[in-house]
Amino acid sequence: MNTANLALQQTPPLSVPVRFFITAPLFGILASLLLIYIGSDIFNSRWGLNTLALTHLFTLGFVSMVMFGAILQLLPVVAGTVIPKPVLTSTIIHFLLTVGSLSLTGGFIFGYDLRIAIVLLGLSFFGFIAIVGYCLIQVKGNIIVGMRLSLLALLITGGLGIILAIRFAYGITLPLAMILVNIHLTWGLVGWVGLLIIAIAYQVVPMFQITPQYNAKLMRWLIPTLFIILLLWTLAYLWLGSNIGWISILISLGLATFVAKTLHLQIKRLRKIPDVTLDFWRVGAVGLLLSIILWIAGTIWIKLANQPFYPLLLFILFIGGFVLMVIQGMLYKIIPFLVWLHLQNQQLNPLKTMNMVRIPHMKQIIPSKLAKRQFWVYLIALSCTILALIFPNLIYLAGIILLGSFILLEYNMLKALKLYRSVLISLQ
Amino acid sequence: MEKTITNIFSKEHTHCDEIFARTENSVVQKQWTTADAEFNDFHTAMEKHFTAEEEILFPAFEERTGQTMGPTQVMRMEHQQMRQIFAQMQTSLAQRDNEQYLGLSETLLMLMQQHNMKEEQMLYPMTDQVFGDEATSILERIRAS
Repeated sequence: MNTANLALQQTPPLSVPVRFFITAPLFGILASLLLIYIGSDIFNSRWGLNTLALTHLFTLGFVSMVMFGAILQLLPVVAGTVIPKPVLTSTIIHFLLTVGSLSLTGGFIFGYDLRIAIVLLGLSFFGFIAIVGYCLIQVKGNIIVGMRLSLLALLITGGLGIILAIRFAYGITLPLAMILVNIHLTWGLVGWVGLLIIAIAYQVVPMFQITPQYNAKLMRWLIPTLFIILLLWTLAYLWLGSNIGWISILISLGLATFVAKTLHLQIKRLRKIPDVTLDFWRVGAVGLLLSIILWIAGTIWIKLANQPFYPLLLFILFIGGFVLMVIQGMLYKIIPFLVWLHLQNQQLNPLKTMNMVRIPHMKQIIPSKLAKRQFWVYLIALSCTILALIFPNLIYLAGIILLGSFILLEYNMLKALKLYRSVLISLQ
Repeated sequence: MEKTITNIFSKEHTHCDEIFARTENSVVQKQWTTADAEFNDFHTAMEKHFTAEEEILFPAFEERTGQTMGPTQVMRMEHQQMRQIFAQMQTSLAQRDNEQYLGLSETLLMLMQQHNMKEEQMLYPMTDQVFGDEATSILERIRAS
């Protein structure tokens, strides 16, 4: 009997998710360099091409990159399935997403033809959605519903993105361009990223911080309700040609319910020990809360929303303060665990005789001190970026510190993989 | 709450999680005597749960479905992995090495929780479905053992 194979059937090879995880900080590094290059010009236009490139380096190159890897890793645990031919599939999707993101952002900055980016990103998104969607068909549960709806949101985001990019590439002026841009970014940030984080939080917050469960009704209804409100908001926006304030307030109240419940559960957590992931998640919850308050305030006082700093602050708080926070926090759990798990599986493989080597535990794989240091550098970078809205010249310093934080993140992950290699060699 | 295999066994997971967290908190505060007792409770509760699964629940499931190489085998292997960590945790506790203990407990928590997730969301509901009304008699056997 081959227990290792059984285990391997459950866990895709380490390289499947890890290739996505180690690529993401590289995009973070590129984004920081671009931020330093743009400098205080960023405050002059929300729709400048460089700003668009910067946004997509974060959302495609970092956020979607990690999310793709995390979903491929989570499938066996939440759905009991592994994608077909995991190494080949993930190689192709990773290649398409990486080169696609580079050519899109390169296209924005240097004016290259966007058609290559459209094809590459289109293939990677639709390929990913089709494969994961297929794996999720036969399973049930709240997290599955959340994953499916967030995949649908990704489909809508990607579809709109392609329409917008085609318009850009061919110089076609669509009558609804600004509206489509707003719908595209709302589906991307609230639908794809937001819904997925909520679905994952249902599972991981009670498990890893040992808190009570999220309320069953909340788990059942919040994500589908948010999805439906997003649809209604989109239809009304397209139909009337203007943003319906109260519907967008409903969306933010839905997100507020999630964050309030999460913070409440975290207060009741039984596991009280210091934990860097918890730090990331708590600051992330505050970031989301602040962006919700700002959003509602801007919807009520149009004057506020018309201030030039408003959209930038909203982006910084939502992407930098919420999304990037929780994602980095997640990485500090996933990477050390996967390294440990794969080493352990190797050692238990009955078909091979392995040397009995003590497998390092998670805190030896990425020491808390290193993770904590990176957390603080990132937090300072974020604070500096926000302060730069008042003191524009601070943006250069913010960019440099942000660069440092992504370099540290990459360093921490590569160090873990180096340890993996060396233990693997001593096992054989 | 309905007396299904899913409910009863999931509740045991929650119970073990609670003692696990208490032990960790004591180790952080270096209250070693309390930690020793709590770890002992935790270890005993986990072993009791594993034994009920390995000796009664899984064989019954395997017999009914004819699947001996399926999900139950993966679960058994993960029990083995957890047992290895229990032993190391015990040693680190005896050596009063809190850093070592906390690194191991962090690892165990991840392993244990993804294991529990697979059981609670897939294996237990499958068992309830396979046994239907007979689930109660299996639960009786476990209680009597």
